[in-house]
Amino acid sequence: MVSFTAGDAVARRPAKPGRLSRFFFAGNGAGYMFLAPWLIGFLGLTLGPALASLYLSFTDYDLLQSPRFVGMDNYVRMATGDAKFAAAMKVTFIYVILSVPLKLIFALALAMAFNRGIKGLPFYRAVFYLPSLLGGSVAIAVLWRQLFAADGLVNSVLSVFGIDGPSWISNPNYSLYTLVVLSVWQFGSPMIIFLAGLRQIPQDMYEAANMDGASKARQFFRITLPLLTPVIFFNFVIQTIDAFKAFTPSFIISAGTGGPINSTLFYTLYLYQEAFGFFRMGYASALAWVLVLIIAVFTAFSFLTARYWVHYDE
Amino acid sequence: MNDAAHAAPPGDTPERPILHSVLIHSALIGVSFLMLYPLLWMVSGSVRPADDMFGGQTSLIPSQVTLQAYKTGWFGLQVSFGTFFLNSLAISVLATIGNVMAASVTAFAFSRLEFFGKSFWFALMLGTLMLPYHVTLIPQYVLFLKMDWVNTWLPLVVPKYFAVDAFFIFLMVQFFRGLPRELDEAAMMDGCSAWRIYWKIVLPLSLPVLATAAIFSFIWTWEDFFGPLIYLGDIHSYTVQIGLRSLIDSSGTSDWGALFAMSVLSLIPIFLIFLFFQRLLIEGIATTGMKR
Repeated sequence: MVSFTAGDAVARRPAKPGRLSRFFFAGNGAGYMFLAPWLIGFLGLTLGPALASLYLSFTDYDLLQSPRFVGMDNYVRMATGDAKFAAAMKVTFIYVILSVPLKLIFALALAMAFNRGIKGLPFYRAVFYLPSLLGGSVAIAVLWRQLFAADGLVNSVLSVFGIDGPSWISNPNYSLYTLVVLSVWQFGSPMIIFLAGLRQIPQDMYEAANMDGASKARQFFRITLPLLTPVIFFNFVIQTIDAFKAFTPSFIISAGTGGPINSTLFYTLYLYQEAFGFFRMGYASALAWVLVLIIAVFTAFSFLTARYWVHYDE
Repeated sequence: MNDAAHAAPPGDTPERPILHSVLIHSALIGVSFLMLYPLLWMVSGSVRPADDMFGGQTSLIPSQVTLQAYKTGWFGLQVSFGTFFLNSLAISVLATIGNVMAASVTAFAFSRLEFFGKSFWFALMLGTLMLPYHVTLIPQYVLFLKMDWVNTWLPLVVPKYFAVDAFFIFLMVQFFRGLPRELDEAAMMDGCSAWRIYWKIVLPLSLPVLATAAIFSFIWTWEDFFGPLIYLGDIHSYTVQIGLRSLIDSSGTSDWGALFAMSVLSLIPIFLIFLFFQRLLIEGIATTGMKR
């Protein structure tokens, strides 16, 4: 009896759960096979190191001796006793606050100019995009260093108009602004994203607005801008995070010093100096986590305020 | 057609659109010129005779053309730029192969396979998109130092084979999701393994996105400065970007010609990619909206 029912159950079961479990088993197996490279990389090269650097940020570590736990010392030093950290924060925030809005305004203005199917669009788009593509390389930073040198191109052009320009790069009052100009020069990629966004706006909205006699300016503020807010939001977040992470231009322009008088000391450059110049790995890890915190707070804040100004199509 | 459409709004004279487009085009050409001027000036600076560089020189046309600066720059360091170019090329190609292979395998898992914990891992993957690399930098450095990989190319290449750059996964997931599901199902019916579906169906249909990923990967690796800066100590293993930096250090800012010449050369590969694959680059940016 017992064996019969058990046998019955066994005989009945495989039909359904057997196939199901085989499906799951095979599916999981294949899934994790394909996921394996990423999973190893994620655990070994991203998550593990991230946690390790969180731990290191509470230590004193010079690579030679093993890390010595110092509690909050690194963070306290940052907040109270490190003038260079304060300088790096100031420089980075000025850079972000100036370069991101300027870049986006240029990007939007040119995307608007192109929007109505202008002749030669591929040519202009290529010309404006090229700086974005090349801008991150050392070559462009080298070029910038020459452009804004005392005897550089900018001053040569100014002298044609009888203006005797300063040495932009080596004057702490101006040096940071040369980097802002360099960033704004690379407005091409947000411009392409704006162009794609503009193309999503239904043309009949403009036709209806034209019928009602709405002016171009009114159409811009009432139709284009509101419908473009998701793209503006997106560009704003991405560009801001990128600006916080900028490194190469400040390194090349100041020959790795962040000078003159720390005026081009980007946050990432300071982190680099602490880690690979002075081998203060604990302190540099703390700097990295503060950067994460800044970016996280900024991103969270952006998303929280987004619902008050970003228009989402329901 | 166009004229009729433009003339349609009441009160618009036919001349206005023409004047309007002349104005727009002159403004755009003006801005284009301003944007390109520094680049053109660098190219012209690289072929000028040394004494032609200064003294309020603003013209794009050199008084005479010479390749002297290219020769000085090329042999400006104890190792020639030829080595740096080969190193950069090798690292970029190896990194690109790694990125494309690893990211496509991962994206295939996320977009076409069902497995336990998929959405959990997917959320974590998206989380790493925004994570600044500084936060993994130091422990990674320590790890590679302990493995004796510092001063080799390995730290610049090997991580790419583990899909550490989530951007490429994201890019490919977007594309793979657009491929019709019926293809997989039909193949599954025929007893195709997941691997065969990936290799024989998904990959061949995804050449555009694979090319886009490869192009971005190559450009970013080629332009990368930070990685080589911390990992490559021996001049024989330098990339072009680090070589340029050393050239600044060794010649100071006295020899702009040589610096410009090597800078121009370092941009040529990217410029060629831009010329030939512009459409893919622009579509890649427009669809993912990420990075450069």
